[in-house]
Amino acid sequence: MSLLRLEDVTRTVLPPDQPALTILNGVDLTVEGGDRISIVGRSGSGKSTLLNLMGLLDLPTSGLLAFDDRPVKSYSGAGRDRLRGAQIGFIFQQFNLLAGRTALENVAMPLLYASGRQFWRRRQLAADMLEQVGLGHRVDSLPDRLSGGEQQRVAIARSLVRGPRLILADEPTGALDLDTGQSVMELIDEVATRTGAALVVITHDPSIAARSRTHYRLDRGILTPAEALAETPAESLVDAAANKIADAAAGAHGERSDR
Amino acid sequence: MSRALTGFLGAVLEAWQELRVHRTRVLLSLIGVAVAVCSLTTVVALGAIVQQANQELSERSSGRPATLYVSAYATDGSTIDAEALDRAWDETVARYGIDYASRVVSSGQSIPFVTGVVQVGTQAVDQPYGEMHRVRISEGHWFSTADEQALAPALVVNSVFWERLGRPDLATHPTVTLGGEKGATAVVVGVTPAATYETEPSMFMLASQLATVQAAQPAADPSADPYSGFGGGQTQYEMWIPPELAEPLLAAVQRDIQAALGDGAQVDVYRQDYAQYGDDPFLVTKLVVGGIAVLVLLLGALGLVNIALVTVKQRVREIGIRRSFGATAGRVFFAVMMESVVATVAAGVVGVMAAVLLVQSPIVHDVVGQGMVTDFPPFPVEAALLGLAAATGVGALAGLLPALVAVRVKVIDAIRY
Repeated sequence: MSLLRLEDVTRTVLPPDQPALTILNGVDLTVEGGDRISIVGRSGSGKSTLLNLMGLLDLPTSGLLAFDDRPVKSYSGAGRDRLRGAQIGFIFQQFNLLAGRTALENVAMPLLYASGRQFWRRRQLAADMLEQVGLGHRVDSLPDRLSGGEQQRVAIARSLVRGPRLILADEPTGALDLDTGQSVMELIDEVATRTGAALVVITHDPSIAARSRTHYRLDRGILTPAEALAETPAESLVDAAANKIADAAAGAHGERSDR
Repeated sequence: MSRALTGFLGAVLEAWQELRVHRTRVLLSLIGVAVAVCSLTTVVALGAIVQQANQELSERSSGRPATLYVSAYATDGSTIDAEALDRAWDETVARYGIDYASRVVSSGQSIPFVTGVVQVGTQAVDQPYGEMHRVRISEGHWFSTADEQALAPALVVNSVFWERLGRPDLATHPTVTLGGEKGATAVVVGVTPAATYETEPSMFMLASQLATVQAAQPAADPSADPYSGFGGGQTQYEMWIPPELAEPLLAAVQRDIQAALGDGAQVDVYRQDYAQYGDDPFLVTKLVVGGIAVLVLLLGALGLVNIALVTVKQRVREIGIRRSFGATAGRVFFAVMMESVVATVAAGVVGVMAAVLLVQSPIVHDVVGQGMVTDFPPFPVEAALLGLAAATGVGALAGLLPALVAVRVKVIDAIRY
């Protein structure tokens, strides 16, 4: 049984007063428990739309999107939200921590949407998770008092606190310097391995993509397997490096650099 | 059930966190709501107190619902037979078993104070009058049966009178002389507080004792001095009866006294109490006051909607993040709504507390009561509840638009851009 399956998935949008625009075209992708998958693509290639679909935030125009072999379309909107909350953890490029809330409150936030033991013991669970990512001493720190690496660690703790089976990392190191980026990826790998969760990383960075076991390239809405990163054309690597620099610049804007 | 409970608690917690994080903005936006709720509650509470004050004042002057007044005059212009009228009244009161009935005779009595003799306005009444008109006693007591049987007339004087006597202790049975130096000696048994606008002495005495005093001093021709006589055209008769019996009794009393006095007399029986005009004589006051309060509250709500709409647009990213971690659209709607409601309820509590302090302050009591309200009602619970309900309603209303905006947020767009 696959964890997440996309079969011949197409997503089109209808811009006002313009013909339909195909963002994703015939995408096939299967994610099994414990998989390590990287998806590399240029800006405008449809990465966000694919992330929307994999994160159950959107539905395909055609084709099959199934979670645990059950078509996602068969869930109600709220049912999809609950499934996402319980089974999928997001890690974002810009960390997206809630301002004004402590590290502990940020990590406990997803547990507000849980029920039962997870809801009632949310502070303890959040504190344990922060301990696991090495931030047991910063539980009461506000995001603007944390370095970029620490912020991403808090974000990782937040994405894992409900014990998801699928982790979607969207440019997780895009706003970090090289060394911090590597250590953050090591942490994500380690935690994913420990929990047995599948990890899908969407990235521009070939070195981050290289950490995965399965590689895909998304180009103009078409997803194709990439045998190995070494086969990545030099042109794409240059693009990726340029994107990385642009992202780092964007990330530094408004964020504190790693201390 | 468990999911519903945790969902509700979670939404309240989210709302509380949001308020805590943005406390300065929230505090500023809520000042308006707190002021509006305070105004609404104060106005409603004061309305209730003013109504009580009005009611008491009108009960003092015109009697409690329902009070029937009886007067009679001779159709040929002559003086009516006072004794016959008195007798007819007594028979009627006895016939219908009316416990609260009183004669009221307005007269003037010369009282020698140390500063000189003063003609003091006097109302001669029967013992039930005190209860019928809610006569308030600050010292001593209202006329008792023992006073009625005492040889010396008893007086209940107002505080101006009492002060002119030098505020004597009533336990010492202070006396005054009625009708000048050689008149009857009367004992002051009680003092009524004077309204702030009363500056002249006045007093009550029992009608039976006034008759005795005047019989002993047949000094003047009653027709020469309209205030010196007893009975005749100057005597009013009133009875306090259950309001539901007012109509049939009015007709019966009129018929009986008319029959007793014969064709030469015209008997009028009428009501003057405040309740005679319908179920709620203060309806107009209530509507005006309520209308003003609602306007004040709407202004507060408008300010809140304005701020809530601006801030929800600044929170698109946060809402996107919450959605990506499992918040349903309904939950986001509820949480944004709750932020508004939790905040306005908190403001409402503050507003109501301020209103209680304001309305119960002695200064407001003095201004509203003019020293004439006996039973200042406690702060009306309905005013406090109305204030809280209004705060909750305003919160829900002000939260509705931002909540609708919040559920339309496109999650990934909100997070990535």
